[in-house]
Amino acid sequence: MIATTLILLLVLIGLSIPVGAALGVLGLILDPLYSMLPLTRGIGELAWSTNNEFLLVAIPLFILLGEILLRSGLAERMYGAMSLWLSWLPGGLMHANIGASALFAATSGSSVATAATVGTVALPQIKRYGYNEPLFLGSLAAGGTLGILIPPSINLVLYGVLTNSSVPKLYLAGIIPGLLLAGLFMLTVIIGCIAKPEWGGRRITASWGERFASLRHLAPPLGIFLLVVGSIYAGLATPTEAAALGVTGAMILAAFSRRLTLSMLRDAVEGTMKATAMIMLIILAAAFLNFVMSATGITDAITGSIRGLGLSPVQMLFVIVVFYLILGCFMETLSMMITTIPIVAPIMIGLGYDSIWLGILIIVLVEAALITPPVGLNLFVVQSLRKSGSMNAVIMGSMPYVAAMALLLLLLALFPDLALFLPRVFD
Amino acid sequence: MTNPPPPNALAALLRHAERLSRAAVWCAGALTIASVLLISFDVLARKFLGFTTGGADELSSYAFAVSTSWSLAFATLQRAHVRVDVLYQYLPVRLAAVLDWVSLVALGVFMAMLTYYAYDVVGASLAQSSRANTPLATPLAIPQGLWFVGLLFMCVVLALMLLRASIALVTGDIATVKAIAGVRSTQEEAEEEAAAGERMVKGDAA
Repeated sequence: MIATTLILLLVLIGLSIPVGAALGVLGLILDPLYSMLPLTRGIGELAWSTNNEFLLVAIPLFILLGEILLRSGLAERMYGAMSLWLSWLPGGLMHANIGASALFAATSGSSVATAATVGTVALPQIKRYGYNEPLFLGSLAAGGTLGILIPPSINLVLYGVLTNSSVPKLYLAGIIPGLLLAGLFMLTVIIGCIAKPEWGGRRITASWGERFASLRHLAPPLGIFLLVVGSIYAGLATPTEAAALGVTGAMILAAFSRRLTLSMLRDAVEGTMKATAMIMLIILAAAFLNFVMSATGITDAITGSIRGLGLSPVQMLFVIVVFYLILGCFMETLSMMITTIPIVAPIMIGLGYDSIWLGILIIVLVEAALITPPVGLNLFVVQSLRKSGSMNAVIMGSMPYVAAMALLLLLLALFPDLALFLPRVFD
Repeated sequence: MTNPPPPNALAALLRHAERLSRAAVWCAGALTIASVLLISFDVLARKFLGFTTGGADELSSYAFAVSTSWSLAFATLQRAHVRVDVLYQYLPVRLAAVLDWVSLVALGVFMAMLTYYAYDVVGASLAQSSRANTPLATPLAIPQGLWFVGLLFMCVVLALMLLRASIALVTGDIATVKAIAGVRSTQEEAEEEAAAGERMVKGDAA
């Protein structure tokens, strides 16, 4: 039963059938194979109740928030301000790349959008200041991945829905690891540039007057972050409501910079609805497949046989980390999360791991997937932005940052409180 | 047996479907923005004016369901659905085109089943005049019906795409199969994201 399911899944996915359709068709096949009752009849009711779930409304809203902010012209000014504050460090603008990514991540729920936006502003500076190209490109690809760890995050909403965990707690739990990871990225740059000073490019100097004057460009993204995340913890709003407040705030900001036009909104909603439809098709199909798998006992059989291996919690954790690192090389991140979490989370939680902590761990692994070849979307985004040169430069340049992620995983395993401290304080 | 419509007529039909799907996406977007404003107003009113509109969450959930189903056709026509191309990218063109066709069939089978049983949901609500168990007591057939229309539209579009791709496949017109149903490679997708990022930063998105 397990073998048949896995083989069918691999064949369907391997045939490059759209992931949503592959999951749905797998459900349709498994139902008559293993079930006494026609489970497929429930698909309509199941799809309606899933598609009508208020928590999931946060998904299109967070995508829309990012789309509007991107179009409101914030990015360039924000990057300029970040470079004034951070470029005295060894490695210069690479720190601005990471800092701007972290700040952008605090307003956007998407890693790809973060890399594309910050990358566009930053790339012309490589030649101008003579940076080591791979390390610079890597800082853009890796910095972009912060988008899904620092709240708000679409992926954390999804994890919350899949595991029935509290999204506000997940958001709180993501803050310290997110900032820590940004810090580790910067440390990577500093170590590299102390070892090889020529990697760091020419020094950029800024006066304190310029720095303070630039602060007003950091205010709008911070304002949106406070509006979204603050309203959740002030008890004012649920995650979905906070997302709506964020979109309203973003529209007001766009109006102030005279970018709120009908054609801008039309562009923004086209992008938003396309992404939403794509994600929801996978979610609806996965909901159906999960229903079939648990009703036929396949889910229990899989978790049972994994438990039967008798691995200790630490061994299991190691297996899961390796599993995600390998899978992440080949699979797109959202589909990877939706297909694996319903199986992985119950096993890990059964072994005594905290579901909030596990969520953060998995998100960091997903971030690694975004910058590991051959299918790391952020690598491709940065490569397409530079339009010339070899992809290898981006891949090699990202590797040190993968090491920083591995270090964060180790720290998370040794000190779970890195993730769990804030949720406990606010409880 | 009737003859299949000539490819040109089909192509024109698909172009109409694409225009219609874009209009549907704009409607879906308008619904989403309406939800945003309604929810924002509800939160602010609750905090500062001490009343709640009651039902902002319910209405926006319906809007979400309807806007998702209305956007499915557009996402499909834009080839936005995620496909894993680890093997696909190494296959000869003809074999890849067959897989593109198989993908459309799989999507069609799943959507057809979903839409068929979704009709049961709407039908049952209609027959029993079910109302939501909320203060608004919304007649459920209305949001469910609108949601179902989106699914049905997706099925129609898929059928057209499948017909066109089948004819193209049989006549050996590989380029058309690819144009209708080919994988947007990670490369292509990343290029589009990058281009979008550049457009936005330079501020001429409009």
